[in-house]
Amino acid sequence: MENEYIYDLLHNAVKEGENKGADFIEARFDDLQLTTIDMTNDILKRSSSIHRKGIGVMAYYQGTPGYSFTPELNTEAVKEATFNAVGLAKSTDSRNKMKLGFERTKGIKDKVKPLIKKHPKDFEFNDKLELIKRGIAAIKENADISSTTGLYGELYGEKFFVNSDDSEIYWVTVMVDMRMIAVIMREGQQATSVEGFGASKGLEFFEEKETTPEKVGSNSGKYCKEQLDAVASPTGKTKTLVSPQMGGVVVHESFGHLSEADFVITGQSPIADRLGGELGSEHVTIIDEGISPYGGLYLPYDDQGVKTGRTVLVEKGILRGYLHDRGTAQKMNAETTGNARAINYMFNPICRMKNTYFEKGDLTHEEAVEQVKNGVYAVDMSGGQVELDGNFMFNCSRGYLIENGEITKPIKNTALSGNILDLLKHIQGATKEITLKTGYFGGCGKGSQHPLPVGFGGPEVIMDQVLIGGAK
Amino acid sequence: MEFEDLKAKVLEVADSAIKYAKDSGVPSAEAFVFNQKINNVSDNNGKIDSRLGMVQGLGIRVAVGKQVGFASCTGFELKSIKQVINQAHRVAKVSPANPMFNGFVADTKTAKEGLLDPEILNLNPEELTNYLDTINQEINRDDQRIISTSIGVRISWGGYAVGTTEGCLSSSLTTAFVAFCSSVVAEAGDRKTGDDFVFGRKIKDLDGIGANAVKKAIDGLGAKKFEGSEILPSIWETRPVSSFLDVALGFLFSGSSYVEKSNPWGEKLNQQVAIEDFNAIDDGQNPEYVRTASIDAEGTPKGKTVTIKKGILKSFLFDRMYGNAADKATTGNANRGLGGPAFESVPVIVPNSIIIKNIGKNVDEQIAEIDKGILIRSEPIGLFTANLATGDFSVTCNHGFLIERGEIVYPLKSFGLAGNYFKTFNDIQQIGSDREMTGGTFQSPSMTFKNHTISG
Repeated sequence: MENEYIYDLLHNAVKEGENKGADFIEARFDDLQLTTIDMTNDILKRSSSIHRKGIGVMAYYQGTPGYSFTPELNTEAVKEATFNAVGLAKSTDSRNKMKLGFERTKGIKDKVKPLIKKHPKDFEFNDKLELIKRGIAAIKENADISSTTGLYGELYGEKFFVNSDDSEIYWVTVMVDMRMIAVIMREGQQATSVEGFGASKGLEFFEEKETTPEKVGSNSGKYCKEQLDAVASPTGKTKTLVSPQMGGVVVHESFGHLSEADFVITGQSPIADRLGGELGSEHVTIIDEGISPYGGLYLPYDDQGVKTGRTVLVEKGILRGYLHDRGTAQKMNAETTGNARAINYMFNPICRMKNTYFEKGDLTHEEAVEQVKNGVYAVDMSGGQVELDGNFMFNCSRGYLIENGEITKPIKNTALSGNILDLLKHIQGATKEITLKTGYFGGCGKGSQHPLPVGFGGPEVIMDQVLIGGAK
Repeated sequence: MEFEDLKAKVLEVADSAIKYAKDSGVPSAEAFVFNQKINNVSDNNGKIDSRLGMVQGLGIRVAVGKQVGFASCTGFELKSIKQVINQAHRVAKVSPANPMFNGFVADTKTAKEGLLDPEILNLNPEELTNYLDTINQEINRDDQRIISTSIGVRISWGGYAVGTTEGCLSSSLTTAFVAFCSSVVAEAGDRKTGDDFVFGRKIKDLDGIGANAVKKAIDGLGAKKFEGSEILPSIWETRPVSSFLDVALGFLFSGSSYVEKSNPWGEKLNQQVAIEDFNAIDDGQNPEYVRTASIDAEGTPKGKTVTIKKGILKSFLFDRMYGNAADKATTGNANRGLGGPAFESVPVIVPNSIIIKNIGKNVDEQIAEIDKGILIRSEPIGLFTANLATGDFSVTCNHGFLIERGEIVYPLKSFGLAGNYFKTFNDIQQIGSDREMTGGTFQSPSMTFKNHTISG
């Protein structure tokens, strides 16, 4: 598809929408390719090659939004979607009691591409299948496995954006991911291990030392095997050292959503009126950013054409900001933060996170373990659930006991739960190394827009008073 | 657009895709064509959002012997359709053979279609906002305890078709209506949420949704801590118990986990797995149920499958591939679109609507029989963390109540509830009489379980 043709369609949408009475129009085109390969027990169980493209139009009328979309890339279809969006905004305006208008700004003209050395589109299906096979072989070399699954995922494509500010933005997204799953069933026991993650990189990601198929596969086999000898975790409120992965998910799910400004302005978030207030200990600084020096998700612009930056949500325990779209930012007299994101053209952008993490501290890993003294080292998780009042529960799928300042035995799957607003008061330190990850498999699920890739991670964080419920 | 037009459209796209596949020398192909109009309007504490559009696309499976490739595209442009057929063919040719694969549906047999509500086709955005008003009018805005409410109405109508080079060309249509309300209330530093919803294939009566959502939240205010740890009976209302059962039985009924030997009930066919009063049927043919259709997502007629009868496990649920691998027939449980548009995924096994048979008493009557126990009014968090190999689960309940001497005495602050699924199925004290439609694949009456560990 020629870029000029796409820009013409989008600019026409803006013009037609404004002519129809909209105050402001955003039009965007996504052209994404997603590939998934699932090899289970040496059988190619499923593979899919998804081409997802279409145009979405957001119209604003006196601060009321309306959204429509179409997969058809022709003038008439885009015009119809534009009229639908304007019609929705106008027809619901009289009922809208919380109008989120925003001032026009100077338009942005930009084209952004990440540096990709081995773009997945330049490689064959079999090259990717081979990566999985190498990972599965490594699982089997490290454990006597009952079942193996190797997953490969890739997402790449282009995004075009124009709006009534006369912005014209083009950016490219790329992501690869691989997961290795090992299952051992023995004498009524079942151990499962899921290893691997993704990056906003090309296939060169699988040549990095810690993410080769061999490394991911061998870790999966090794961690699965050690589960067979796992002991029950302690129960009750326990001092816990959480890994970057675990801490990243906790901060995303249980705190990050509370800081999303759409929940804030509607009063749904319990931190709605607490800007400038003390939420946590002095060790708590929480960041959300679009392009991070620590890796994670590459996100130069959001889906309202706002350049993403670095937002300090919490600084040394004090609540400093929220995650905004243009409307919430203006209503709260705040700077835009570039957090209006949509999973694809079929959805309107809503306030979502980018790369969200605890800021680093000054401890080494060894010092952090020593500080915990007796407790739990929670490394990996498989799923989590939160409520908007800050209550959370995560399943720790890989963890270890910390006894007398040393990591000792693996523990069985256990649940970590609590309320984030209580927990933040009990953060006692963080390590000085930060790693951020992202992923094709899984992601954020707000507003039925699942799975939206986000970045998560951080340092290792010491959390006291985590409620741990051990396996019976 | 009328239903007949919609049906003709999806069938035409499926037919043209299959014709192109044949003309291109593709040995065997299946086209899944999906077309759904959606219109949502929501009111989040006065903030109105709305969305309208057509979710439209096609997924193609191509088989070269037992080598299978899948590709999908959005929209129905012929150029895109040709591209995905070629892409699926390319992938199939280089893919390793899948020994479980047994070809595509070869006939046009269909079962009964579910109810269609023509009024849904004609609803416009203004009318949807009127539904918001209906819900909103039940909420007493003078009540200072109400912090926020979130109200929404969603309608959709559409259909899908399956065509194959082997001769299948069938379609199914649906209409759907969902309305919901959730509320956040607070008093003296205590904060609670509540929700209520209705959904179905037809436009529903909205009476009670707004009032119930607020009442559920307010009922939870003034919660007290459950002291200590105790093994007690727990009564679960219909919606939370349906979710509770879904987590375990969704997996235990799965023919794929049975074939892959990861199903703890793999050796339990025709054995007692639950109390004798426990009966479960997967029903893909009740015209009222949202998941009812004339065909499943690979063209097999949907039907009814008895999964548990008088506590005895009678069947797993299968699609064609896993049915073949297990030497059984498909049960018409191929589904698509978990986590995305239906046309973007290959078939996976999902229950249609698992119906647990009503037996005895309603919730109030069950409460009256309890000397000391717990009432669970909404889904606990952490259900999915259950270890389904061992059956152990440990969840957090944020909307529970203490029962003493046959009465609810007060709401409880968040507490832990733990047990074992396999033991729980055999420890059911009461199966209720009050099954209702839920948003998920399970519809169960309320239940009382004998022995769960409650920890404050």
